[in-house]
Amino acid sequence: MRFLRKELPFTIGIPAVVWQVLFCIIPLVMLLSVGFRSQEAYSLVVSWLYGRVIGYSLFLAAATMLICLAIAYPIAYLLVTRFYRWRQVFLFFLMVPFWTNFLLHMFAWYFVLEREGVLNTALRSVGFPTLSLLNTPIAILIMMVYYYVPFALLPLQSALERVDWRLREASLDLGASWWQSMRSVVIPLTEGGIISAALLVFVPAFGEFAIPELMGGDRSMVVGTVVSYYMLTARTPEVGIAFTVFSAAILAAAAIGIVRGIRFLIRQGVR
Amino acid sequence: MTTHYGKIFRALPIVALFIFLYLPLSVLIIFSFNRAPFPAPWAGGTFDWYRELFASWHLWSACLTSLFVALAASGLSVVMGLALIFYGVRGGNLRRLIPPFYINLIIPEVVLAVGLVTLFAACGIQLGYGTLIVAHTVLGLGYVVPIVAARYEEIDRRLVEASLDLGATRSQTFWAVIVPLVRPSLLASALLVFILSFDDFVLTYFCAGSSVQTLSLYLISVLRAGVSPVINALATILFLVSNVLGLVFCSLTFKERIF
Repeated sequence: MRFLRKELPFTIGIPAVVWQVLFCIIPLVMLLSVGFRSQEAYSLVVSWLYGRVIGYSLFLAAATMLICLAIAYPIAYLLVTRFYRWRQVFLFFLMVPFWTNFLLHMFAWYFVLEREGVLNTALRSVGFPTLSLLNTPIAILIMMVYYYVPFALLPLQSALERVDWRLREASLDLGASWWQSMRSVVIPLTEGGIISAALLVFVPAFGEFAIPELMGGDRSMVVGTVVSYYMLTARTPEVGIAFTVFSAAILAAAAIGIVRGIRFLIRQGVR
Repeated sequence: MTTHYGKIFRALPIVALFIFLYLPLSVLIIFSFNRAPFPAPWAGGTFDWYRELFASWHLWSACLTSLFVALAASGLSVVMGLALIFYGVRGGNLRRLIPPFYINLIIPEVVLAVGLVTLFAACGIQLGYGTLIVAHTVLGLGYVVPIVAARYEEIDRRLVEASLDLGATRSQTFWAVIVPLVRPSLLASALLVFILSFDDFVLTYFCAGSSVQTLSLYLISVLRAGVSPVINALATILFLVSNVLGLVFCSLTFKERIF
């Protein structure tokens, strides 16, 4: 009885942990073990065709990440340095579109990118030729950037808010140009924010497959498409699992590479 | 005068970002009132698409399914998250239990989905409502536990000590001191999980099986078939509804005391 009294809180508290172990950690371990058991699945997966699929996914994710960082950093910088009072309002309106099912956003982009859509109507009225953007990598990238820009903006903004701006003033006082103080003071101070922004975009963008499938037409094969084909359509799950494990390993390597690359570039910039 | 122009000039990138973010949705909403289906130009206003939307039985059952799954997932993950805090208040070591929950945020959803499907297949479990709720609850725990635990760690220890000194048991302290203090973050994370689950596509696509159709699955089947102004009407309504939910969420996180 005393034992029961003593262990009761543990019993009440533990379901979350059990749930997590049972439905997250065990599945992940299973993926690894099942994946390694079927050797032929691996030999099937490690092939030229799938190398291209993974390469395309990496390209899309990396391009999305770079564009998002290029858009988000200046905006976060402007927001923190020039429009500080407005930042809550800004963040609020940044999040508003996110509360609607994102498939509907994709649907909305059809209206913009279609041959007869808003963008082409606007371009034509100015005298530009009609662009057919749907079912091209450009459409995928536009949609990816649209969806992932807030993921990059939030960590960058909070990193810039924590910067001690007196350091920057000091560097300017000591004769550094605007760009010099930017690259040797401000950017190094926001390194953590840049890294988490890059990863927050890169990791989910690599696994994204609703966007490439709906915006890119039939020809755009990404990791998610292949996985869902083997898991759900072809009913040969061991190949799907092997492919998942294989691409997850590549993703992990790429993520480490990105972190190292960003650190390296920032260190180069300080000099 | 020059500084004034400078300010406007500096606001341009931010304005451009918002045009980029809001243009598609506004176009979508405008076309939900267009008499002629897209890509025809504007042909006068109408509410016909809304009428058709309210008559569509498939859509409503998909909405209800999503609602049910989202409620179940957010409820389950919040209750389990709170139980974990209870264990912490009763003297358990929370710090060691929290880190595993960050895994859910790090791994891509596809990997988790494939893992879950593998597990269910190995145990011979039929895909359906149960598996869907299980999957969404895993996703939810990944948000609820870190958010609520962070709030719990921030609580002033002296409040707990005072409550214990004044003769309250640890359980009484939990209900009278801790729960009111973590309630804003609890509600906020519940709403976050609700929205995430309601929107989720990847996990749902893998774990729902063929018998269950959520809103996301319905939408993707419709989108694959082609566009229809009824979807515009649906988008407009969902946009309004989720904005109300989002406003509540924001007031919870920013002000921390609406309730």
